[in-house]
Amino acid sequence: MAKERILKGIAVSKGISQGTVFVYETKDVKVMQTLIPSMYLEKEIERFLSALERTKKELSNIKERINAEIGPDFAQFLDAQILMLKDRDIIGAVKKGIKAEKKNAEYVYHGVLSEYADKLCASKDQYLRERVADIWDVGNRVLRNLAGFTHASVIEVPKGSVLVGHDISPSEAALINPDHVQGIAIEVGGRTSHTAITARALEIPAVVGVEGLLAKIENGERVILDGNRGILIKNPTPGRIQFYKGEIKREIEYQKMLSPFCELPAKTRDGRQVDISANIEFSIEYAHAKKYGAMGIGLFRTEFLYLTRRGNPSEEEQFRVYNELAKKMKPDPVIIRTYDLGGDKIFSDYHEANPFLGWRAVRVSLDDVDFFKIQLRAILRASVNRNIRIMYPMISTFEEIKQANAIFDEVQQELKKEKVDFDDHIQVGIMVETPSAALMSLQLAAHVDFFSIGSNDLTQYVLAVDRGNERVSHLFDHFHPAVLRLIKQVIDAGHKAHIWVGICGELGADPLAIPLLIGLGIDEISMSPVAIPKAKMVLRALTVPECEEIATKALNFRGANEVKKFLRRMIPKKFPGIGGMA
Amino acid sequence: MIKEKITILNENGLHALPASRFVKLAEKFKSDVKIMKNGVEVSGKSIMGILTLACEKGSNVVVTTSGKDEKEAMDSLRKILEGQD
Repeated sequence: MAKERILKGIAVSKGISQGTVFVYETKDVKVMQTLIPSMYLEKEIERFLSALERTKKELSNIKERINAEIGPDFAQFLDAQILMLKDRDIIGAVKKGIKAEKKNAEYVYHGVLSEYADKLCASKDQYLRERVADIWDVGNRVLRNLAGFTHASVIEVPKGSVLVGHDISPSEAALINPDHVQGIAIEVGGRTSHTAITARALEIPAVVGVEGLLAKIENGERVILDGNRGILIKNPTPGRIQFYKGEIKREIEYQKMLSPFCELPAKTRDGRQVDISANIEFSIEYAHAKKYGAMGIGLFRTEFLYLTRRGNPSEEEQFRVYNELAKKMKPDPVIIRTYDLGGDKIFSDYHEANPFLGWRAVRVSLDDVDFFKIQLRAILRASVNRNIRIMYPMISTFEEIKQANAIFDEVQQELKKEKVDFDDHIQVGIMVETPSAALMSLQLAAHVDFFSIGSNDLTQYVLAVDRGNERVSHLFDHFHPAVLRLIKQVIDAGHKAHIWVGICGELGADPLAIPLLIGLGIDEISMSPVAIPKAKMVLRALTVPECEEIATKALNFRGANEVKKFLRRMIPKKFPGIGGMA
Repeated sequence: MIKEKITILNENGLHALPASRFVKLAEKFKSDVKIMKNGVEVSGKSIMGILTLACEKGSNVVVTTSGKDEKEAMDSLRKILEGQD
């Protein structure tokens, strides 16, 4: 029997699956030059035209699927690709070229495209230079069709498959059918890559960044994909298969045990209500949020709007997304976080040595007021639903809030002048994720309606640890007393100023942290939808005084390990699985 | 034949998305459509041609339409370039 092999990657979407490998590969075609006898030149042109026809069908299919499943905004870039395919100048040049040079269609077509690509490459405009990728996207499809290769599309993935590939392009990721795809493993990417985001949204277990994956895995192999541990197992031993069978069974039973908690109110035994809401990345995830019993959207990340398309989203596109989500969640609140990416995401010419300390999030928005205003207008217009709240990420100084609010006021004035209806009591809050904002929270609280603690970034900045760096990532721990003390300071400051304080980092999704956060007085905890039932279960078994005692003790330990050891002891045995999860 | 000098006011210049709309619209008319910038003229019905012109917001182009429906063509294409559609 073949030896078991465990391929390691980054766990980006939880769950375990067993399935048959479907290798998704886009082959690059080598273009050869051949002479075509004069009598076959017409045939060669026909061959070229029918390859165009086949490619057009492929692209139209993809476009239809994206239109139907995600929305027309996402299909727009395909319009440009289809037009490139039908471009009469190109078709004309290829026809002429085949006749004049007596060469094969592949060679002539490749040459014509190269000419255009070179022209765009020489352009000063970064956006146009990037369109070269579109040209070759289309071009390679045509060349594959000319060569008679079938282009493996994720549409064709059969039931029970684990999708394996080098990378999955946004247009293809949009086509993934969660009924057929049981798991995803790719060679590149990280937690925020497009494939990772899609997998989480569709609740498909996924592992990314598996080096050399395609060289080690073959089509049709049976594999186990463990999205909790970030591994793909080839030729699993009988013992391993047995183990995972048990694991899957336990997971199902566990979910079953938790499911009644979705519906129950998030109240402690002694009646303190803590809002449990959902962090989502796509508006379609509102369904998960509701299914698991979220009381609102505590964090709507707007990054996908910028990452899944070319160019920046227009006001209209953003408005449609925000409005749709607000409508679906009404009357429950939806907190929309404004742009939270690095400057490199919108200005591809821009690079920096230290992006986490660099030009990102609200810093970008404040420097590009027109860009910021587009998003603010879209959010305000959607606020007619009266349940939208707005949140600025990465605030580090008081001046930034003032500046952002001034721009926000301006936008409100503009809308009033245009007689556009919006919610003029809209709550405006900030993410507290920099040490300076946490330390100055009392001063900042006077200028905002709420705080939401971003514990991931806060931990990274307070402990000075890049969690993506393997050599130091073990130092990253949001249970560190330094982090917890800052969280206490933020909550106290908020309450002193009579504003509510929530948390939307991963700490909130950790059941161990719940007694701690309640003890510190948190008003809202926002987490990924799946984590909600467990959080409710823990919360409903606690009382405020016992939580306060736990919190006071936790704050006085010397390090994260002591805190966790203590919490594990304190969490009563009646929660099966919780000790093991933490 | 109608010839008009137009300044591109569309927020995104005549980049991929507006360019797609421009070409799609141009194709609806029987008239021949041409765009010229800095002495280079391309067909208004070729997206590749338009892209290579690199028309950013604020650039000046000369649009020519000629054919039976040249007036309607010019009127609606101008709107895209001026960002009013």
